[in-house]
Amino acid sequence: MKNKKLLSFLMIIMIASLSLTAQGSKDVSSNTDEIEINFWHHYSGESAENKTLTNVLIPEFEKENPNIKINAVSHEWSELHDKILISSSSKNLPDVARCDIAWLPEFQAMDILVPLDTEMSDFNTVSSSLLDSAMSTAFINNHYYGLALNTNSKIMYYNTQMLKDAGVVVPTTMNEWEKAVKKISGKNSKGQKIWGWNEPGLSAWNICPFIWSYGGAITNEEQTKASGYINSPESIKAVETFVSLYKEGALTGFNSGDIPMTDGFGTNRYAMMLEGPWKMAELKGAYPDLDYGTALIPAGDGGAISVLGGEDIAMFKGPHQDAAWKFMKFMTGEFAEEEMAKCGQLPVNKKALETDTVKNSDFAPYIEAIKTAKARPTVASSSKIDNELMVAMHEVLSGEKTVKEAMDDLAIKIDALL
Amino acid sequence: MKLNNKSNRIQVGILMSPALLIFAIFTIIPIIRLFFMSFHEWNLSSMFEQSFIGIKNYKVVFKDNFFWTSFTNTIVYAIVTVPLQMLLGLIVAILIDGIKKMSVTFRILNYLPVITSWVIASLVFKYIFNTEGLLNYFISNILNIGNNNIHWLDNRWSGLWVIMFLGTWKGIGWNMVVFFAALQQVPKELYEASSLDGCKTIRTFFSITLPSIKPTILFAWVMLTIGAFNVYTSVKLMTNGAPAHKTETLLTWMYYKAFSTGEFGYSAALSFVMAFSLALIAVFQFKIISKKEN
Repeated sequence: MKNKKLLSFLMIIMIASLSLTAQGSKDVSSNTDEIEINFWHHYSGESAENKTLTNVLIPEFEKENPNIKINAVSHEWSELHDKILISSSSKNLPDVARCDIAWLPEFQAMDILVPLDTEMSDFNTVSSSLLDSAMSTAFINNHYYGLALNTNSKIMYYNTQMLKDAGVVVPTTMNEWEKAVKKISGKNSKGQKIWGWNEPGLSAWNICPFIWSYGGAITNEEQTKASGYINSPESIKAVETFVSLYKEGALTGFNSGDIPMTDGFGTNRYAMMLEGPWKMAELKGAYPDLDYGTALIPAGDGGAISVLGGEDIAMFKGPHQDAAWKFMKFMTGEFAEEEMAKCGQLPVNKKALETDTVKNSDFAPYIEAIKTAKARPTVASSSKIDNELMVAMHEVLSGEKTVKEAMDDLAIKIDALL
Repeated sequence: MKLNNKSNRIQVGILMSPALLIFAIFTIIPIIRLFFMSFHEWNLSSMFEQSFIGIKNYKVVFKDNFFWTSFTNTIVYAIVTVPLQMLLGLIVAILIDGIKKMSVTFRILNYLPVITSWVIASLVFKYIFNTEGLLNYFISNILNIGNNNIHWLDNRWSGLWVIMFLGTWKGIGWNMVVFFAALQQVPKELYEASSLDGCKTIRTFFSITLPSIKPTILFAWVMLTIGAFNVYTSVKLMTNGAPAHKTETLLTWMYYKAFSTGEFGYSAALSFVMAFSLALIAVFQFKIISKKEN
């Protein structure tokens, strides 16, 4: 009995001392004047961007600002969005995050972002150094909730050998594109199935370029109405072409069982695809000997309209706004933008765009594409609209509904979400 | 140690308090908070200030077609995988119980799927059942049946069959271990007596083996049903609910609604609907158990 009492006494002492040491170590760190800024991003762990960030940019920033320490955390792209939602409910957000432009309206609706134009006195000076079109992605409800960090769009990648084997030239119009996609598809010399076009998803990022290039639209300019736009004859024609190519076995990629995009393109199974600037580095790493070329998306009745992508850097409501602002200015400054351009990030800083690094890079077609590219709906319900579009596309592909029926129903659903 | 002694009670209380505290912080409090959430308008635009909306979230859940799809999928998953893994586990256990040599080797081999990570197993299964995967290669290039590859993962039912196949494959080992242990407990005298009475193998199995391991069967049944409702990793990695949310299960749908669209109120309500359904099933199972024991 005595022994047991002694044992429990010892355990209590141990637990108490553990919690005391934990407390102690916390005090030590808060005693220094150093401010720690948590920066969440989705440069993938092993990427060149992440190496530049951790080996070049952060050391440089910390050298310039010795009292600020940057704690950069890498997440998967899709995971970061979910992680911010989870963390906001526990009020445990980062100070700064690199956000996909599509997420900003959602986060703004959650009231977790800092309106930079009202809070930061030098906002106008900073924002004028960045591209207006890119900055427009951060403009929500009459305020700016972020700085443009990098921009991108999609251009067409084609497998030179596969086009040559099928005897087709690089399509420049949607009519040529449709014929080329059909002509390439079939079987290769090994008896494996090959496809003219790869489309890895059915969301707005994937479907919008077709709808826009065929002259259709998702909503009106004011983003208040979808009826008459998503179910317009032009939009329907775009979706019908897409679906008929899929049904003929000339287009695939969005099914869970399909060959992943890069592998399919690299192993000569997918002949063409629309992709962003990151794909060049990826192909160089995975398939260095692949002979491929790039071109603008083929033009339809609406022109050659690709989708505008990219990231903004946004500040979350927190205690270290001045330090966070310094870091955001650094990340969108000429030095950081030029360094990131070396790893395939398309800059938005006007001075960085004039540097030799950018001028001599493979970016040229992207800079051309961005001139006409359009942004997806910048409304808080954008992820729900994305989901409805994906479901509607599946309904058509599986034959449950005709394109007209599905788009009419979709218009009603999007109207309700706007 | 007797608990009617006051100093003993204090000692037990102190020793248990850290564990109870952790249990309260990480289990009890979140459940209470979740219950509270399920009666509030809790989504992206109301992350910090929520209004009470009564049972509206529950109404929305029950009116949602995707909820019914995911609910049906989960029930089908439970109805198929639970009996199947029990049956196969029991057969393997009986076979291993009957052999003299290599028993340990076979037990290890059958248990390997259980200790394999869900993530790895799901990715391997995805590789096998891909449209351009190993199975289709085998069917069309080696057996030369059919020209077109089968889209295993791209249809609701075939996708679910692959998910259920993985669930069963991974569960057999656990059932084997549980049933093997139970079989070892059956008194050998019973078998001797039955053989003296001239019982055939099948009769021995149904009259002696099965009744003797009945408590274990019921235990496995309850545990596996709870496990089946928790199916998540395999669905997330193999189909991620595709096509168009037709292969979602309750947990993947709950995750999607909470963390992809930010509808926390909906997900909280859904989690209580799921817990309630599971509780109903458990009550039903325990009724059967107590009836059988009487």
